[in-house]
Parts: sequence; C-alpha cells; structure tokens
Amino acid sequence: MHSFHIRFGFAAVAVFALASLSSCTKQSDDGGNTLRLVTTSKIKGMDPAFADDLYSGTETSRVYEGLLQYHYLKRPYELIPNLAEAMPEIAPDGKVYTFKLRKGVVFQDDVAFKDTAGKGREVTADDVIYSFKRLADPKLNSSGWWVFDGKIAGLNEWRETQAKATTVDYAAAVGGLKATDRYTLRIQLNQRSYQFIYALAMSFAYVVPREAVDHYGKEFLNHPVGTGPFKMTEFNGASKIVYVRNPTYRKEVYPSEGEAGDKEAGLLEDAGKPLPLADKLVVSVIVESQPMWLNFLAGKLDATSIPKDNFSTAITPTKDLSPDLKAKNVKLHKSPSLDVTHESFNMKDPLFGKNKYLRQALSLAHNTGPLIETFYNGQAVAAQGPIPPGLAGYDAGYKNPYRQFDLEKAKAMLAKAGYPGGKGLDPIDYATVTNSTSRQMNEYLSKAFADIGVQLKINSYSWPEFQSAVKNKKGQMWGFAWGADYPDAENFLQLFYSKNVSPGPNDANYQNPAYDKLYEKSLTLRDSPERTKVYQDMQKMLVEDAPWIFGVHRVTFALTQPWLKNYKLHEFDYTRAKYLRVEPSLKK
Amino acid sequence: MFVYIVRKLLNTIPIIFGVAIVIFVLFNMVGGDPALMMVGKHANAQRIAELRAEYGFDKPQIEQFVQYLKQIVTFDYGRSYATRRQISDMISDGLGPSMSLTLPAFFLTTFLAVIIGLVVAYFRGKWIDKSAVVFCVFGMSIPVLAYILFGQYFLAYKLGLFPISGYEQALSERWQYLVLPMILWVVVSLGYDVRFFRTAILEETGQDYVRTARAKGLSEQKVFFKHVLKNSMVPIITNVVIEIPLLILGAFLFEGFFGIPGIGSITIEAIGNSDFPVIKAMTTLFALLYIGGNLATDILYTLVDPRVSLK
Repeated sequence: MHSFHIRFGFAAVAVFALASLSSCTKQSDDGGNTLRLVTTSKIKGMDPAFADDLYSGTETSRVYEGLLQYHYLKRPYELIPNLAEAMPEIAPDGKVYTFKLRKGVVFQDDVAFKDTAGKGREVTADDVIYSFKRLADPKLNSSGWWVFDGKIAGLNEWRETQAKATTVDYAAAVGGLKATDRYTLRIQLNQRSYQFIYALAMSFAYVVPREAVDHYGKEFLNHPVGTGPFKMTEFNGASKIVYVRNPTYRKEVYPSEGEAGDKEAGLLEDAGKPLPLADKLVVSVIVESQPMWLNFLAGKLDATSIPKDNFSTAITPTKDLSPDLKAKNVKLHKSPSLDVTHESFNMKDPLFGKNKYLRQALSLAHNTGPLIETFYNGQAVAAQGPIPPGLAGYDAGYKNPYRQFDLEKAKAMLAKAGYPGGKGLDPIDYATVTNSTSRQMNEYLSKAFADIGVQLKINSYSWPEFQSAVKNKKGQMWGFAWGADYPDAENFLQLFYSKNVSPGPNDANYQNPAYDKLYEKSLTLRDSPERTKVYQDMQKMLVEDAPWIFGVHRVTFALTQPWLKNYKLHEFDYTRAKYLRVEPSLKK
Repeated sequence: MFVYIVRKLLNTIPIIFGVAIVIFVLFNMVGGDPALMMVGKHANAQRIAELRAEYGFDKPQIEQFVQYLKQIVTFDYGRSYATRRQISDMISDGLGPSMSLTLPAFFLTTFLAVIIGLVVAYFRGKWIDKSAVVFCVFGMSIPVLAYILFGQYFLAYKLGLFPISGYEQALSERWQYLVLPMILWVVVSLGYDVRFFRTAILEETGQDYVRTARAKGLSEQKVFFKHVLKNSMVPIITNVVIEIPLLILGAFLFEGFFGIPGIGSITIEAIGNSDFPVIKAMTTLFALLYIGGNLATDILYTLVDPRVSLK
C-alpha cells in the first residue's frame, strides 16, 4: 500500500511538473508585430489553380497576386488595380480588355529561378498569359477553369487541341491572349461580358512563374512563389502556416479613403503607409470551434468568428457584445453577407415542375421570422428574392407576396393546387445532409409544412451522396446556400439560367425561355439603371414561378482583440492580412 | 515458428481480398461521386466527364477493382483527390504527430493500468479495491469528448497549465502541446484498462494451482507475482497488442481538438470528401496492421506461456 501511494504521488507530481514547464515554455512567435490569425479548415494546398475553397483562396492570396483586387474599405465593393498599373481600357464593343502591368514587380526569390541564381525576376505580360493558360491546361484539370471557360477567344480551342496532344504546348498561341509588349496584355473575349473583369481578382487568376511550376512539378502546391506581400516560410496545411514580410514586395500603400464611418472607426490612421503593415503572420489551423474560441479568449488569436455554441455568451440578446468581452476591449464586427439560403423545388420532378400553386403554397407556409431567431441568432435578413442586400437589383422595400407568412393563404393556395388540406399529396421527398444543424432545420421545415397538412419525407445523406442526389435530380426538394463569387447580382441570377441546370449550379432545374432571354440581355449591359431594371424584372419572374423558397441573407460576425488594427469584414477578403497590424502598446 | 508466421501471412491474402471487395463496393458503388465533389459549385456535364476520365471513374468497375488490387500490392495509391498530395506523403507526415501523442500515452496507460490493476487485485475486497472500481466505472461512463472539453477549458484556458491547442515540428517545442492530450488519454483509458486487468488477474487467483501453491505454504507475494501475474499475462497481452494498430491510426478526436496534424482525421475527412484513394490506403493499412497485431499477439503468447506453441 505504501508503494502505491508513493507511485501515485510521483505520477501526480510529474503531471504538474510537466504542466508548469509546458506553460512556461517561451512562445516562439511572439514578435512585436506578428499577426496571429486562424483558419477553420485544413489547407489543401497553395496552388492558385486549385484554390477553390475560401480557405485555400485566402492563404494563396497572401503570397500571390492577380491583375486586380478589391478596395479594402470602400462599399459597395470596388475593383482596383493590383499587378495592373491601372484599370483596363475596355473597347467600345466590350470585348477587348487592355491591361498595362506595373513595371518592376518581381517574384519572390526562390531556388526555382536558376538563371538568376535564385533571385526573383520581373513579372511580364507573358507570365499572366502563362497563368491563364494553366487554368485551361487539360492535363492539369484546374478546378478554376470555369472562370474562363467559353469566355476568352481561342482558349477553349487551345484546351481541346492540347487535350489530344501528349504534352501541353504552352507556346501555342491563343488568339484572345496577347502580350503586345513586355508590360501590355490584350484580352479578347468571345462575347461582350461585364462580369469577366471580376475573374481577374479571383485567386484562380493569380500570376505564377513558370520556373517554379516546372521546378517543383506536382509539389508546386506546397511551394508558393508569388509577388505578394508575404512569403511563406512554414507550411503544414493541417496545423500551421507561417509567413514573413516579402522583402522584395513592390511599393503599395494603405488606402487613404473608405466608406462613411471608416475614419471615425480609426480605419484610416495608417493611410499612405507601405504594405504589408505586419512583419510576420502565423495562421493556425483550428478545425474545432472550442479550441479556436478559447485561444481567442486567452489572447492567442487576434481575430475570430463566433462559434454557434458560443454565440449566446459572446453576444447579448440586444445583439451587443457581452460585458465580459467589453471589459477586455474586444471589438465586434458585423457585415451583411452576399449570400442567400433557399429550399429548391426540383422542377424536373413531375409534381413540382408542373404545379406552381403547390410551390407557392409551401412558400407561404414557411415562416422565416422564427427561423432567423432560432438558427441565425436573430441576425439575418429575410430574402424576398435571390439578390442579397448590397448589390444592384436588391430593393429593400420589395416584399415577395409568397414569402409573407400566411397560413390561411397557404391553405387556400394548396387547395387551388388540387390538394385541399394536403389530401392526395404523397410525402415530399426531401434530400438533406446528415448533421445536427440540418436536422434541426429539417424539423422546423417539417413542422411548417405539417401545419397545412403536407408531410415531408426526409432522406439524410453524407455530403458526397447529397451532391450526387442533387446533381442527378433525385428527390423533390433540398436546401442550399449560395455565396457570391463576385459582387454582381448576375452571379445569383445565373442560378436560374436554363443552360446551368444540374449538374450545373441551377439545382432547381428551372427553365423559362422568357427568363433566359432577359438573362442573356443583362449580360450585354453595363452596370446601369437599365441593367438593374432587367435584374428586377428577372427577380419578379422568379417570385411568381417560385422555383425556390427564398430563405435568408446571412450576417457575418467577427471579434478582434483591442491590439489588432485596421480590421474590416470583407466578403472577398482574400488580401486582408496586408492591411492589418498589431499595436504592441495595447498588448499585455 | 517461421513456418507458422509464413502460413499466417499467406492467410492474410484472402482476408485482404475480402476487405478490398467490401471497401470497393461500399465506396465505389454506394458512396457519392468523387467527380462531383471535385468539380465544386460551378459544375457542368463536360467538366464532370473530364474529371471522370482523368481519374478513371468511367472505366468498367471490374477494371477499377483490378487497379485497386494492384495498388494494394504496390502500396502506391497515387494522389488524394481532395488535396492532390501524394498519399504516401500524407501518411508519413501524419505518422509522427499521431504517434508522438498515442505511443507515450499508450505506454503510460498500460504501465499505470497494470500496476493499479495488480494493487487493487492484491487488495481485493478492501477499500482500495472498492474505490478503484467505483472510479473506473465513473471514468468509463464519461464520454471522451467531455474529458477533452473539460480539460481544454479548465486545465488549459482557466488555469493556464497547458497550451490550449497547437503543434510544433521541433521536438523541443512539440512536447508541451502533447502533455494535456496525453494526460486526458491516460485518464480516459485508465478506467477500462484497470478494470480489465483487475478481472484478468482475479480470474487467475481463483484457479486451483493458486490454491495448491498457497497450500504448499508459498508466501502471498510469491504466489501473486510469480504465478498469478505470469498467467494473467495472456489476456493482458491480447488486450494491449490489439490496440497498437489503433495507435498508429491516431486519435481523430484528440487530433481535431488539440490541432495535432496526425493521420487520425485523414480517414474521416476522406470519407467526407469521397476521397477514394485515401480511403483505400487507410483501410488497407488498418487491415494490415490489425493482422500484424494479431500475429504479434500469437508470438508473444509463446513467450509468456510455454504451453502455447506455434505450429
């Protein structure tokens, strides 16, 4: 017995000795101006051609740059030059874009540059052409090909030719991509498009040096070599990514103007200072929400989103910051998201495809108010159509007649549809994903439909199976959300274009020639009151046809530590880190 | 023994083949379409067809199965669909972090559990034994997740005894992140192990040879440590060795919460992404390790029990 006590005592002492040692160990990344950010998903890789999720897109943008970027502070979102010297000249026919590149921009030093003994060389128009062709490379099969597919003259033909060849010939010319001199790039489009320009600010279209792609081969995804503000020094996509200031970064300065209120919020204090403002950036990969939240509370992270389970402790019922966090001088940031959630009716289904009144009845029976309270913490806007607030085409005063909760009207409409009190209607086949939030939302939807006598048959799938069901049009209804790829309502309206039906993004399989005609017309128009009117006319068609039950436009929340400066939520926040800095005097 | 090992290894071939069929049918015919996962939200029929062709999903099922069998033999599963990384690299990168958590935790648990098991069995029926059993049942009834959430919140965040989560490549800095998950692992496993070892030991103490030994006048210590302990080793070894393959595959819950980039979560993520090459690699690896573990158990039996011989 004696020895047992001694052993146990020894074990306990050892545990606490280890604990005290581990807590005393010096943190290696506590430099004065080190940003400590978090990403909530493992990072797949650092190749822009495969940066198809928000997380990889954000990481690649620390190292790489494209021709254009978004203004950090201005709203509505505005494109500004990045590697381009100025915004492009657009020919009157809207088909030819001419870009002048900034001179003297160099790639980061890397062993891949053998001719210059590892010194990064200057970026030229040929690099942009190479990077765009890479997206089209049929052997590479980039997940970003859709941004250029069918848009640049000759690029699809080049892709088809190369698909047949044994090796891809990057030297073969593409009519629509021409370097007229070292710094001038001429892009010829197949047809007029005013949305094309947004592709040039996406992470897919970042400029990569051919030397690095060739040197690293298939491992290029782990060895980013760009022109961006930071240089990657450590990469473990499952735990931590470390960047330092790129010593050869061109001169770019912090913006000196923003939207109303930015000055008062202190967002213009660093105007004119060279970017990036931070010396080092440590991005921790924390997939679970509790450790992310605790790390933020412990001051180990400079910014965080608010996990669902911690929302009520962070935010008071009046939607203000909790007293605890206020006492710590934590700052709350809120911004409407450019997105829309929805329940889709499968228009290919014989029942739903042909019965508009049934769709309208279900739309009327679905009450968004309690949904917003329960699932979005009271912080979302009920969607009246697909276009979210903040984009031309959104009308804050507009009310969708079929989205104003009205049980009696819903019942009447259901009778008009031929199913009074739901009689004669089989349970609706509803496809969904197996997770707790979906389950709760499905229960809510089941109850809403049950109130008018309609039953829901829920089929829960894993995410891949769910994708298969939707893309193969199996099922009658399913729920989805769409986040904007770029700030133009067209990105939402294309979800109803007949050429985009499943497996394309038109998951309701909505087909309406009159709608298609308006959509095609909108593509030929510049941002103008005329185009906005067309967008609104399209929206009216959708409201009447009700291929979706429009859900909500969500709101994004973030919290930042008092010492983090210049933080502003941004829907396309790929490049944000270069504007951020730490105020050491505010950090204990 | 050599013949035994060779025969045992040959026996694994039909087992692996069976495992291969099950995995193939489960994920190739029943699961989601990986091409749809890869193509993302801007899908179109042509892109899906291109991806199917690139990865060979358009080939006949039998051809795909033969290809899979080839991969099992060569252990070259190519690249992950989701991350596009070489799967062998993914596994070798994750092995270190996983094992630096699970191996020490496992040895510590086994060491402590055997000692505690012996002590409580020695004091059978006394207060030490009774309270240990209560603690074991109590410990086993609490889910792992509760331990993790509690440990992270109180020990790491509130008391600041450990870092909340994180990982470093350098060993000198790595260990500090592993202490808390390791302690929690030990606490979680101890209840089960102690109870199991106690039962195994007690079962031996009721045997006739023990009574004979006592009747012959052997001291209680001698009976216990020389006879009982040695004989109770067989079930203990079975229990311990069978856990080893699980250790190599990591502990996805611990890895997820503590930010340890191990291979525990790779399989879970791969299933979520229909990342078939990774699923194939991990499940085959698991099957091989399991068979290896069984073989090792058999061999260890001969060392602790001379009555067992491998033929």
